[in-house]
Amino acid sequence: MKFNALVSALAVSAIALTSGAAFADVLDDVKAAGVLKVGVKADYKPYGYRDPSGAIVGIEPDLAKDVADKLGVKVEYVPVVSSNRMQFLEQGKVDLMIATMTDKPDRRKVVNIVDPNYYSSGTNVLSSKKAALKEWTDLKGKPVCGIQGAFYNKKTGQEFGANIVAFKGTAEAYSALQQGSCVAFVYDDSAIVAKTKDPEFADYEMPLKTIDDAPWGLAVQLGEDNFKAMMSDMIKGWHKSGRILELETKWGVENTPFAKAMHEKYK
Amino acid sequence: MARPEFKTDLPVMLAPPERRQGEPLRIKLWHGIALFGFCVLSSTYVFADDTQAPASALSVLVKWMPLLLSGFLFNIVISFCSMALGTIVGTALGLGQISLIPVVKSSSWFVTQFFRNAPWLVLLFFAMFLLPFEFDLGFVVIPFPDWVKAIIGLSLPVMANVSEVVRGAVRSLPSGQWEAAESLAYTRQQTLWLIILPQCVKRMLPPWMNLYSILTMATVLASVVGVSEVMTLTGEALAAEGGRTDLLAPFYSFVLLIFFVYCYPIARYTVYLEKKFAVKD
Repeated sequence: MKFNALVSALAVSAIALTSGAAFADVLDDVKAAGVLKVGVKADYKPYGYRDPSGAIVGIEPDLAKDVADKLGVKVEYVPVVSSNRMQFLEQGKVDLMIATMTDKPDRRKVVNIVDPNYYSSGTNVLSSKKAALKEWTDLKGKPVCGIQGAFYNKKTGQEFGANIVAFKGTAEAYSALQQGSCVAFVYDDSAIVAKTKDPEFADYEMPLKTIDDAPWGLAVQLGEDNFKAMMSDMIKGWHKSGRILELETKWGVENTPFAKAMHEKYK
Repeated sequence: MARPEFKTDLPVMLAPPERRQGEPLRIKLWHGIALFGFCVLSSTYVFADDTQAPASALSVLVKWMPLLLSGFLFNIVISFCSMALGTIVGTALGLGQISLIPVVKSSSWFVTQFFRNAPWLVLLFFAMFLLPFEFDLGFVVIPFPDWVKAIIGLSLPVMANVSEVVRGAVRSLPSGQWEAAESLAYTRQQTLWLIILPQCVKRMLPPWMNLYSILTMATVLASVVGVSEVMTLTGEALAAEGGRTDLLAPFYSFVLLIFFVYCYPIARYTVYLEKKFAVKD
């Protein structure tokens, strides 16, 4: 009986192995097509945004270009938003997703997030100095602006009891904040720090402690383990060579502690 | 218009005075200029007191204008294709509605009513998430990008509305046309193609153009499902400018204006055709 179970287990794993090998590798498809389709943000300066000619530029498109160069193919940027990026990858509309996505356990079940993480950011709020927020719990029962599809909306809403008002883009959210539609705008801390330096937002501050300093993950489709291994090496290479730090400087972001620490670690 | 003078002692019935002389409500050139001025003013108002603005909203808008206009061109392409697809299928459906075969008639009626009474955005979402992103025909793979799905999604309500337009136009013809054709021994098919439909075309034209206008304005819905049309690009341009709130009004006003400039002549021409084809009694 035991023996039988062992044999069948072996048979099953053998089938799984062969079928895994027979399954067309996305790397072969990419090389055959000569194009690597990468899902990037087109509305998130400076990580991925459009220039006036319509081309998508930024830190993440540059990283995607590195991958395409390594494979010796052309790169095609597919603009994604937070609410559809994982579906695009699942459906195969994109081969690789580098779209400011925070690495979360539930997301790892849907897409294949590559280790190590390539970037990191935390969550904070921008609010008027008059609102005098001290703690995250001060947001309870108050309207708070957010961006559609951002993971911290849920947390801000459920844990701290804020009423999230989600907008399509940052301009709309900043405008709503100025008009007083919400007491605070919950967003990435690096963007908020930059915004508080804007003279128009002189009366605004980042009053709370940054939470969820969470790493960002780039992802490939589930099951694409060859591609994942290759991307893992690429990320290590980026950290080793200081490519991320270099891109931050190129696109006008102060070097983040995460990027510096990773550079030290892999140097 | 001078009415003929009658000189008689007998009581006579005069023609009623003609109403609707001229066009009391018609947008003139100065309306357009006023609208444009309003948009410019409302957009400049926001940052009027801001002396150290990095770049004026207008100059930023001019910088992005080519991209936005190319996005608008995409909206027009979507509207053209949806209209063409919707008209072809809708006409067939409309003829199905006046069919003498009960099954065809009732099923056409059902399909028409179903799609005519569904929100456009919901139909668009259905098309987006139900259609695959590519069709594998075994030997060739036909890609099915988002904008093609948007065309299909938007053509569904167009189809249902065209179907009603066709049915209404056929019904609006005096029954004498059918009877006369029958008495001349035309078959039903001949009557339809040679007598009824040619007369319907001019009746259908104004509502059909109205529908096109509405469809064009509805193409911005495609931005919700991630098609890179003018609304999406506007949002992305605003993000690229670092979320400057003073740019919101000018950018969205610009989008408003280009749609108005495109749709208003269509509306005018529709009114002209309606007058031209109006049945005079």
